[in-house]
Amino acid sequence: MYLYTNIIGSFVLNKELEIVESLEFEDIEDYLHKYQFENKLQQKHKNLQPLPDYKEREMLVLFKDDIYMEKFYKQNLELAKHKLKLSVTEDQLIIQTIANVQELDRVINLLSKRLREWYSLYYPELAENMTHHEKFAEMVATKTRKELLQGKTMGADLEEVHVKQMTLLAKQILGTFELQKQHKEYLKNVMEKYCPNVLELAGTTIGAKLLELSKSLKRLAMLPASTVQLLGAEKALFRHLKTGSRSPKYGAIFHHPIVQNAPRSDRGKAARLLADKLAICAKLDFFKGEFLAPEYKKLLEDKFNVKKD
Amino acid sequence: MSRRIREHKLFEIYQEARGKRIFTKNIFPGRTHFMERTMRDAGDEYREFDPTRSKLAAMIMKGSTNIGIRKNDKILYLGASHGFTCSFVSDMVGEKGIVFGVDPAPRVIRDLIFLAEKRRNIIPMLENANHPEEYKDKICEVDVVFQDVAQKNQEEIFIKNCKAFLKDGGYGLLSIKARSIDVKRKPKQLFNEIRQQLEKEFTVIDFRSLEPHEKDHCMIIIKKR
Repeated sequence: MYLYTNIIGSFVLNKELEIVESLEFEDIEDYLHKYQFENKLQQKHKNLQPLPDYKEREMLVLFKDDIYMEKFYKQNLELAKHKLKLSVTEDQLIIQTIANVQELDRVINLLSKRLREWYSLYYPELAENMTHHEKFAEMVATKTRKELLQGKTMGADLEEVHVKQMTLLAKQILGTFELQKQHKEYLKNVMEKYCPNVLELAGTTIGAKLLELSKSLKRLAMLPASTVQLLGAEKALFRHLKTGSRSPKYGAIFHHPIVQNAPRSDRGKAARLLADKLAICAKLDFFKGEFLAPEYKKLLEDKFNVKKD
Repeated sequence: MSRRIREHKLFEIYQEARGKRIFTKNIFPGRTHFMERTMRDAGDEYREFDPTRSKLAAMIMKGSTNIGIRKNDKILYLGASHGFTCSFVSDMVGEKGIVFGVDPAPRVIRDLIFLAEKRRNIIPMLENANHPEEYKDKICEVDVVFQDVAQKNQEEIFIKNCKAFLKDGGYGLLSIKARSIDVKRKPKQLFNEIRQQLEKEFTVIDFRSLEPHEKDHCMIIIKKR
């Protein structure tokens, strides 16, 4: 007598592979705890053996009957949904957040440019003197022209109805800035628990970007340092391989202070060393190692004389 | 009155009178899932099978004489993705057939689940086709294996799955993307190598490159001995 379990249920089979007794699963929870059903059958029938491998093909034929199809459909759909539920990880949350941070950057730029053009009809001198987008939006949103005015203006004297729309837009831009800040704060909190080493060495934005480019911490940990160095520079890298142009020296890590503050001639070296340490950090995080990032950071900063602020 | 849509030489496939477009009969009339064009003729609704979006359609347009899929078949579809081709295969097998759609990526299975909830003959499975032993207790024996995965060991996966699940005398359809095996080598050489490998295990009955619908792709149809 054999015991065979699949997604539909648990079955007792005789030597000719006919079903003697069956316990069908009600839902996917039963399948996940299938050993309970197997135990029940085992107690009832003595000398049950697991089905040998060479007979499994015959079982597949047995279950080809149309009567099992509805069951297959129901159980597999439930199982897929169950697996989908478990498949969400911090990686995906981080990737979505950093993607939105970058998208907001673009949106802010677009809206700010429009606000400048628009507000210049009313008070052109402010847009000319105030180059910082956030401060500009803040001034437009909170203060009236009378409060801001220094001397005379060549802007038109518009009525309150017209100015109100500009203030509304400015408030929207300020809200977007606030949203981006909250995203970054949240990223920091998540990454502190998930990948502290990478966060410490790379910082929030670059660390998250590396995760986004490598799709997951697992893959980032498996990547060699030379690949980490060029993550985000794929276009330049393949152009180099294809046409023999000069190879890129850095990808997403270009904006890191260690690379930025290194003398121009040493930037390639700085990027390489930073990538080495980042690759180690990713491995430390993925395999739950120690917190060594501050040591590496100090080493790199000493090497390239980075001014601390 | 002459009908606009006629039967194609292949089973369950229909063609326009001019033969430039192919269709499948929609098993759920009035419902499309991928913005594909539909045509009504003599009370039935037909969905257009676009050869630039599906490799199976490209194979049919290239003039394959037998794709092995018949009504009421049980089909194992590896690399189901969002389910575009899957939905047409589900049209072809009809309501009594079954399509087991396997894909390892959660993102696309999400779309496939929504499709499967409407079309009850598609079974979504979040599994890796590299490891048939992990899902052997979730499916039954099948009449056709269709594989469209862009992996380096495509033919290995195909042979493994055909051996495990395909019935004797059943058909296997393998679409090969040369660029995911080796970017540098010539596609023709690669195709021939894979063909020879498959000939050791199965009978190869059709072999076509999918130009111009797909670049550097080919499809091999085999029959299990």
